[in-house]
Amino acid sequence: MLGGLAVSAALTAVIAGIAGAWSPCGFSMVDTIGSALGDARRGATLAACATFALGTLLGGAITFGSLALLGSLVGDGVAGLREGLGAALALAAAVADWRGVRIAPQIRRQVPERWRWTLPLPLACALYGVLLGLGFTTFVLAFAVWALAGISFASGDPLVGVVVGLAFGAGRALPVLWMAPGLRAGDGARRLDEMAEAPRLWLGLRRLDALGLGVCALALAGASASAAPIARTRIAQATDPSAANGALVWQQVGAGGLLQPNGAAPLALPGAHPALGGSNVAWASPTQITIADRGSLQPKLVLVASGVNALSVSDGWVVYRDEDAQGEHLIAVSLSDPGVRRYLAGSRLAGRVGRPALDGASVVFTVNTPRRSALELVELTGGRRRTLRAARRGVAFFNPSLLGGRMLFERVTRCVQQLRLGTVGGPAGASSRSPAAGSPGVAGSSRAGRGERVLLSLPSAVTRDPGYQRGYTHAYNSASGCPNRGAGRGGATQLAATALAARSAYVTRLGPAAGNAEVVSVAR
Amino acid sequence: MLRRSSRRGFLEWAGAAVIALAGGRTLVNGVLPDDAEAYTNFCGHTYTTGNCPHPTGLPRVDRHDLPLRAADGHPVDDLGRPIDAQGHPVDAHGQVLLDPSGVPLAPAPRSKVCPAAGRSHGLELRTDGSWYRCCGGRVRRLMDCCGYTNVRVNGDEALVGYCYQGRHVFCVQYYETMVPC
Repeated sequence: MLGGLAVSAALTAVIAGIAGAWSPCGFSMVDTIGSALGDARRGATLAACATFALGTLLGGAITFGSLALLGSLVGDGVAGLREGLGAALALAAAVADWRGVRIAPQIRRQVPERWRWTLPLPLACALYGVLLGLGFTTFVLAFAVWALAGISFASGDPLVGVVVGLAFGAGRALPVLWMAPGLRAGDGARRLDEMAEAPRLWLGLRRLDALGLGVCALALAGASASAAPIARTRIAQATDPSAANGALVWQQVGAGGLLQPNGAAPLALPGAHPALGGSNVAWASPTQITIADRGSLQPKLVLVASGVNALSVSDGWVVYRDEDAQGEHLIAVSLSDPGVRRYLAGSRLAGRVGRPALDGASVVFTVNTPRRSALELVELTGGRRRTLRAARRGVAFFNPSLLGGRMLFERVTRCVQQLRLGTVGGPAGASSRSPAAGSPGVAGSSRAGRGERVLLSLPSAVTRDPGYQRGYTHAYNSASGCPNRGAGRGGATQLAATALAARSAYVTRLGPAAGNAEVVSVAR
Repeated sequence: MLRRSSRRGFLEWAGAAVIALAGGRTLVNGVLPDDAEAYTNFCGHTYTTGNCPHPTGLPRVDRHDLPLRAADGHPVDDLGRPIDAQGHPVDAHGQVLLDPSGVPLAPAPRSKVCPAAGRSHGLELRTDGSWYRCCGGRVRRLMDCCGYTNVRVNGDEALVGYCYQGRHVFCVQYYETMVPC
């Protein structure tokens, strides 16, 4: 939903930026850049155009990115309220822009004229660009600018804010780039005159903005509705959840798999390590894997496989992890042609290749060794492999799951265990820097880098000493502590296997005693 | 020169004794081990440079600079979990921990404490020199984690310590030898 919001808000921002050309500063910029130095120094004019454009992009990104960052600090607990208010603001601004209402509150300020005389033209124009890109330092020509500020805040996603800001900055730069270079010798002067004499075009742009804001309001309202609290699930003695289309399966500790179709009573499956994907459900027995129709449980395909201890399925593929004397192996099999098999990963030692999670033909899994922790994605159709997250120190990634381009996974440090929701395409191939000393990415915050959100944060489960020996002073020692927890035994709960559904995330919580496991849901 | 009378001789002797006592105390202070009260954070660590960030707190490392749990010297990974030789988390009895499906829990990175502290702070750090002190009946090697920095991990001005070639101490760690003392 936020993808749609980002696109509609960005298009609205471009138009709102263009509408800003009808402001005193907008006209001044065209004239300043296009005529201040005359045709003899066309190169300087072009340089000024470039720096002006860079400035507007920067200014826009600063304003709207900062507002979105501010929104992300509000916390997910009130995300629905935040998005609802954003939708209301967008709707009100849409009505006002459609009707051409006089802008209020208006900012009756202009960029400093003296810069034009005291600074080199490219530098002055860069600074002018920043001020215009900031949006609220000079005249505002559409309610959409105010609304976009609210939308950025409501999105709570800095990436959305930056995209909106860049679009707004581009919109502010476009009219100047279009007219300034030809102001003396080309069509620039005529265009400027037409613009000055045709406010109807400006009003037309405001109506386009109104339409864009309407779409934004719908997107935010949808996000707000989906952020409404949902019934929490808690399944005792359960692990390894898998979800698809409202149904949920899990492994009952010490027993087999259970299937809960759309909130109905759970059904026992004739096997273990169950998985859901598309219209399929799969389970494993000691010698084979069965892929069946999710509704009727009628088997569609049976594969010979032994030692299977993890399973994932989609409409087109099944991926399983098995273990034998040579170690563990992660293997993908095409359901349309079971002869097509791909060996995805393996290890001589069990436990290093994580549980797989499929979404369509994409599978994610972790590969963890003492040298590196990595979240890997393989496109099964082409065999392309990507490292989505990786760390060589301080951080480990566990238990990913996929749905519609979003990835749920766990990020664990010495201080904290976090359940995070991010994009698959986000920081592709990026290595995760270990947390800085004293601020090791700990609990108490819903912030996470690179468009990720923290859905659940728990203190680490390890035992820690206080960082000093008894009987000795212990000043100057903050770097070895954890701000979110003290010394002694850690949290009693350890996060384990996950599943991602449209409205919920599921995670397994392991207790301190063996076999003490439960699957709980967390709102996305 | 003064001629020695019995009284003058006594005063000279007493003065010399006082001077010798003072000098001796200085000499003694210079030779004997430091007062334990002067140590910061843990035995053997003088000055106020903070510990290097460590998975379990006290910056105890093995001879390869990899983290150990201070309480018992058990190897730990970067998450602070006690591990076996293959890096798998183990319980208090050294048994590999299993998930509910019976699969061993996944390993996590285990990195050298000093360089890792540097990378966390945008520095290239290394262990340069060391000093040894007797702690708890064993010789303890105090290792300075050094780099080209003027600031130490706790934010104060970095000292030269046992760092060479212009490097300064960023943080400290220690290695417990097997040598009794």
